Amino acid sequence: MRIEEHPVIDFTRRRGKKVTIYFEGKPIEAYEGEPIAEALHAAGIRVMNYAPKTGRARGLFCAIGKCSSCLMKVNGIPNVRTCITLVEDGMKVERQRGLEPLPRDYRPPKWKEAKRVEADIIIIGGGPAGLMAGAKAAEHGAKVALMDENPILGGQLVKQTHKFFGKREQFAGVRGIKIAEILEKDAREKGVDIYLETSAIGIFQDGDRKLVAAVRKNKELIEFVGKAVIVATGAMEKMIPFENNDLPGVYGAGAIQTLMNTYGIKPGKRVLIVGAGNVGVILAYQLIQAGVDVIAVVEAMPKVGAYFVHAAKIRRLGVPIYTRHTILRAEGKEKVERAVIAEIDDRWQPIPGTEKTYDVDIIALAVGLRPSIELLHQAGAQIVYVRELSGYVVRHDDRLETTVRGIFVAGDSSGIEEATTAMLEGKLAGLAAALFVGAADLRAIDEMKKVRQDIEEFRSGPFGERIRIGEEKVMIR
Amino acid sequence: MMKNKVDVAIIGGGIIGLYTAYELHKRGVDNIAIYEKNYLGSGSTFRCGTGIRQQFGDEANIRMMKRAVEKWTGLGEEINFPKFKMAQTGYLFLLYDEDEMSRFKKNVELQNSLGVPSRIISPEEAQEIVPTLDTSEVIGASWNPTDGKANPFLAVHGLARYLRENGVEINEYTEVRDVIVKGGAVDGIKTSRGEVKAEIVLNAANAWAKIINEKLGVNFPIEPYKHQGIVSEPFKKGEIKPMVISFRHGGAYLTQKANGGIIGGIALKYGPTWDLTPTYDFLREVAKNFTRIIPALKYITIIRQWAGYYAETPDHNAVIGKVKEIDGYYISAGFSGHGFMLAPAAAEGMADLITKGSTSLPLDFYDPYRFERGELREQAVQMG
Ligand SMILES: Cc1cc2nc3c(=O)[nH]c(=O)nc-3n(C[C@H](O)[C@H](O)[C@H](O)COP(=O)(O)OP(=O)(O)OC[C@H]3O[C@@H](n4cnc5c(N)ncnc54)[C@H](O)[C@@H]3O)c2cc1C
Ligand SMILES: Cc1cc2nc3c(=O)[nH]c(=O)nc-3n(C[C@H](O)[C@H](O)[C@H](O)COP(=O)(O)OP(=O)(O)OC[C@H]3O[C@@H](n4cnc5c(N)ncnc54)[C@H](O)[C@@H]3O)c2cc1C
Ligand code: FES
Repeated sequence: MRIEEHPVIDFTRRRGKKVTIYFEGKPIEAYEGEPIAEALHAAGIRVMNYAPKTGRARGLFCAIGKCSSCLMKVNGIPNVRTCITLVEDGMKVERQRGLEPLPRDYRPPKWKEAKRVEADIIIIGGGPAGLMAGAKAAEHGAKVALMDENPILGGQLVKQTHKFFGKREQFAGVRGIKIAEILEKDAREKGVDIYLETSAIGIFQDGDRKLVAAVRKNKELIEFVGKAVIVATGAMEKMIPFENNDLPGVYGAGAIQTLMNTYGIKPGKRVLIVGAGNVGVILAYQLIQAGVDVIAVVEAMPKVGAYFVHAAKIRRLGVPIYTRHTILRAEGKEKVERAVIAEIDDRWQPIPGTEKTYDVDIIALAVGLRPSIELLHQAGAQIVYVRELSGYVVRHDDRLETTVRGIFVAGDSSGIEEATTAMLEGKLAGLAAALFVGAADLRAIDEMKKVRQDIEEFRSGPFGERIRIGEEKVMIR
Repeated sequence: MMKNKVDVAIIGGGIIGLYTAYELHKRGVDNIAIYEKNYLGSGSTFRCGTGIRQQFGDEANIRMMKRAVEKWTGLGEEINFPKFKMAQTGYLFLLYDEDEMSRFKKNVELQNSLGVPSRIISPEEAQEIVPTLDTSEVIGASWNPTDGKANPFLAVHGLARYLRENGVEINEYTEVRDVIVKGGAVDGIKTSRGEVKAEIVLNAANAWAKIINEKLGVNFPIEPYKHQGIVSEPFKKGEIKPMVISFRHGGAYLTQKANGGIIGGIALKYGPTWDLTPTYDFLREVAKNFTRIIPALKYITIIRQWAGYYAETPDHNAVIGKVKEIDGYYISAGFSGHGFMLAPAAAEGMADLITKGSTSLPLDFYDPYRFERGELREQAVQMG
């Protein structure tokens, strides 16, 4: 099911050339520029593999390459993350049933020395934080190389069809997708060297420089070498425990946005949303925009977490928000067919007799994000658990340098916040790294002061309190 | 409360310390304590390649390993922990030239004479054992079906549980800072949690053994070298059953673990050093060499890499015995990359030595004083 009409985006113009891929021998229509899993979803195929241990059906969950729920065999190669691997004409795609045998291939690979990309600063992640860091550092004279494992730049922004809040200079009133375009254009104009579909797999010391090993399109090894690294890898969606939470059709909110807002694919027909924070409520609105029915939003807390205007908008459209409710289980055979919810008491226990069952084909989890710190952890940066920042995060100083000299962090990977602070932190890390590598002059120090003030101002309200407490816990002075 | 007096104090909670405690307990020594500065297994043991082989090139190591395999295969039952099992899936040394072939033929003869059923097989037979091997340049292989592997996590867990249940005191996060010597004999130890009286102390601190020895004015040449390992994502079980070894390819060793992922490494090493940062060169060389041995591994993703110490001696054989200068002080350390596999035999020998003063196992081979006498052994192959 593809979206043909949308109030904000014209997908028919965005789509690439038509190609054919083969799912277990059956031809499937797809468009160049879209990932395999998304194309299969558009054709109604939800089950991507059967789990090795339990044999249970698995489908998409994150749609941004972070959870391994979508692994399939592609052209004979097992365990391909199909949500971030683009379709190619004639591609053969198969479901995996348990663990795959090794392909019977006796041709030793021709070993080419890896492509080496040298720069002053290497940036991992091309969301608002990474793009802003790249543009700033380049503006101050640093040579910058940036990689992102997704085929499109902009990170989470590319799925935000709504207009942003905040201050004018931080793009308030501009739609997220538009902000992504502006940031990308700016970074490219300032000469940031950009690599897409390129996953960073490790950060190593290389003499007195850093080496980021990366893989492009699942096949080509690239060695990025620089004096400093900025990690801006964003976040991944949290999962909550309930019966059948692995049924295909239980999707992260971000995955649903990727399907419908980035690739113009209808996620389903009827959706139950779990979580009434900003993400859950904005998602409800976006689903309605795309012509999908939203049955209800359930929220365990006694109060709706989202900004009042967002919540009011969906209520006006007739979507009920049930606070003090939780999801009990998903039901269905190899895909979501029903969702059962119930009211909870003060001890968070479901109250018997309050169960309600809905016929839905999608359950959207909007229960929060956690920072993606895997690479920072691997590189040896000190990690602490900070609830206020939504999980494990790295310690850093007021220049966003971690405990590993020359490795900086910015955006959601330093603690879950918003695009606005991601951009500001990106600026700060970009400036600090440009100074660190010796490219920037003293003007960068003044600019850093200004950015710090902006960040403080942004976090000063009651909504910023949690973050302020969290930042206290990670800050090295 | 930690006991303030024990009969035997063991420094180090790796496989050697634990297994030796077990053998001592079997011999009726009941007041034993283990002191581990970190957590059990955190030294080299949990970082090892899991390999257990009898294919050595000298009589002592072959006899020790034959005994060790007998013990490994019975351990799970003995300690009432059937989950622990040695998998006798064999070791396959791939041979690529006549030089290698003649060396391994000689070794096989020696191994056979000591009752180890190894044999030289053809490239075709090797491919039957591991169907995905590229044998185009292989001229044969040295194969022993009774070699294999075992899970060090389960070994440590099973032994520790058994020991605790039987009254052996295991002190984690307890560092031994010094050995107290009075009148030329051991009188106790100083730990980070206080002093303990003991007349017998065993140094089983492997890579760290030297640090304690130096404080006592004794010196055996054991140095820490950084070695690394990797594991991959899982694929269908049974595809690479044995430990596959190729000297031609950077000294590579690799096998499939119980969950279907591969574990392995190459001989690339750094040191002596205390640094344990994993290196990119290792990762790249593993990818390059593994895919030459089994080309289909080019489709498989490495998911973890780590570093650990080989506690190396000049001839790559351990230092096991009584320290003459100090009565009651023993050492079992410096295992140079094959201490996991040797643990049951090394432990049996050491427990005999402590309780009876002698053993029928060829412990002389590991005599701590061979270095100062200039009687180095032929270098043992280090890798798992
Ligand atoms: C529904 C929803 C609504 C939102 N609404 C707002 C709003 O109104 N206002 C607001 O300010 N914020 C909003 N946000 C939050 C905002 O989108 C995020 O905080 C922001 O995008 C974080 O930016 P980032 O650059 O840190 O990370 P991301 O945008 O997540 O970007 C990280 C990038 O890193 C890449 N990456 C990760 N790992 C690797 C790797 N190993 N190798 C290479 N690349 C890698 C990813 O592909 C990704 O592109 C919203 C978020 C959601 C989900
Ligand atoms: C990458 C790699 C692959 C390997 N592959 C294999 C293989 O396939 N097969 C094989 O047989 N071997 C292999 N080895 C070697 C094997 O790991 C070691 O030989 C074996 O684990 C040694 O056991 P141990 O108990 O002597 O040492 P360890 O496990 O290092 O135990 C010594 C312990 O002493 C503790 N300690 C040190 N100082 C003090 C102190 N002062 N006070 C208290 N505690 C102290 C340490 O914390 C440590 O836990 C490999 C090693 C590495 C690094
Ligand atoms: S990795 Fe593809 S859905 Fe998460």
